[in-house]
Amino acid sequence: MRALGLAGYLKTAAMTAGVVWDSPLFLIDFALRVLRVLVLLGLWRSILGAGESAAGVSLAAVLTYTVIAEVFSEQLAVRTTLPEAFWEGTLVMRFLRPMGLIRQLSAEMLGRWFIHFTFFSVPLFLLAPLLGVDPRPASAVNGALFALSLALSVLVGLAMEQLFGAATVAFEQPVWIVDYVRTAVSTVLSGSLLPLALYPWGLGDIFSYLPFAAMAWAPLAIFTGVGQPLPLLVSQLIWLAILWPLGTWLWNANREKLISYGG
Amino acid sequence: MAADSVWRRLFRLWALYGSMDLLWLARGPRIAVPFILSDFVTGIATITATFLLAERFNGIGPWAKPQVLFLLGYSLLVRGLIDVLFNFNMAQVSRRIGRGQLDHLLIQPQPLWMAFLTEGFAPFSGAGMLLPGLGLTVYSVAELQLSVSGTWVALFALYLVGSIAIVLSFEYAWASVAFWAPRAAEEINSDTWRLITQLAPFPLEGIAGWALAGLLTILPVGLVAWYPARVLLRMAGPPWAPLVLPVAALIASAFATWIFTRGLNQYGRTGSSRYLSLGHRR
Repeated sequence: MRALGLAGYLKTAAMTAGVVWDSPLFLIDFALRVLRVLVLLGLWRSILGAGESAAGVSLAAVLTYTVIAEVFSEQLAVRTTLPEAFWEGTLVMRFLRPMGLIRQLSAEMLGRWFIHFTFFSVPLFLLAPLLGVDPRPASAVNGALFALSLALSVLVGLAMEQLFGAATVAFEQPVWIVDYVRTAVSTVLSGSLLPLALYPWGLGDIFSYLPFAAMAWAPLAIFTGVGQPLPLLVSQLIWLAILWPLGTWLWNANREKLISYGG
Repeated sequence: MAADSVWRRLFRLWALYGSMDLLWLARGPRIAVPFILSDFVTGIATITATFLLAERFNGIGPWAKPQVLFLLGYSLLVRGLIDVLFNFNMAQVSRRIGRGQLDHLLIQPQPLWMAFLTEGFAPFSGAGMLLPGLGLTVYSVAELQLSVSGTWVALFALYLVGSIAIVLSFEYAWASVAFWAPRAAEEINSDTWRLITQLAPFPLEGIAGWALAGLLTILPVGLVAWYPARVLLRMAGPPWAPLVLPVAALIASAFATWIFTRGLNQYGRTGSSRYLSLGHRR
């Protein structure tokens, strides 16, 4: 690990994982997530009867989509500790560490993920059959391609995080307002709550071309077999190729502002 | 203080905070636009999922499309009114307590309840959701061709007050934890707020009985919009159904007041430990 230069990042991740236990608030977040799943499952069951389907999406597939979207919700809507760093004015401290900035933030994010994935996502996945949901992928191939797509969606999410972070500072907007709006917009546009295929007026087709869809809709559609894997993976790669250079450029262009922002 | 002088003071304070809110927005579009727009966008986003489903499937379960629109309009009105009347962390009061900012209210020469009732008044910056909510409600009532009598309007107004009381009671009861654990619970109302507002605009018919019971009692999400909308739309229910929300609101308010007062007593003994001598928060 030391030879690879990963030791510092692993330690950072471990420290962030420990911070989760500082406050019991994450239990309320877990409650919200469980309730959201229960409400959405109930909603789908009152809309689609057993064996029914809409736009080629069966009830079983949409139930699986709902549960898997919650199991991987943090990976499908990537958030680092960047907004907190802005809010507290501590980004400058991160610049002083002998580690890459985005990699530091990613390590902190991974530490948080570890706790939430272990204590929420895995139990929810295992308990899904008790809720009448089959949490398995449509096929073994879909499962494998989902893993690839999920990795790409995390990278797209990190690029978006960098882009929005730089834009917050560039346009001198309040960090939490940008964060709230981004969360609200991406929940609708990404398909993390409802499958895009079931949106009315062909909205889902339009939204599927946006970068938000590359974060959630692509992997979830692959997992449940409601979308063609190849075009979905290609769209993710295209957005990666666009967003990373754009985010890096905006980030570097606002480097001085970034250092002194917040607090 | 006599009742009329209390009201006079309340209106003076509302006028004062309202004008301060306007002055703040008048600093320019750079301030005003993001705040109003973000309120509007986040509010619309919370109801979008239910709206899209209702549009796609021409209703949700036993709810016809215009009934779903009424539910969404009502839900937005509740949230919009809270944003207008209890802004600036008055609805997320754990932040005030946890940050030691309750002292800022306690040193004022007025009762604490009066400060809670007036200091969050933001009729301009907080009104982003009010108009869409009102528009959606009026449109759905017209679509449903509801016979709107004076009694119905009075019940509607009473229910709005009841739903707001449910949300605030939930928030204040949880916020009380911050009296004992200011640092850990400073942001507890962010989570409880998300919990109660994210799930409020959904019809709850399809979920299991035990979960529904929980959503009408311990986590009263169903009382924020779903249950009142059912009663106001005269959907099937027992004869005593109209009494449920007012009674629940009274019980919830009494419980929140009781636990908040306990917390306040604790605060009176310990005070806040969040400020360093140089004024910075720990």
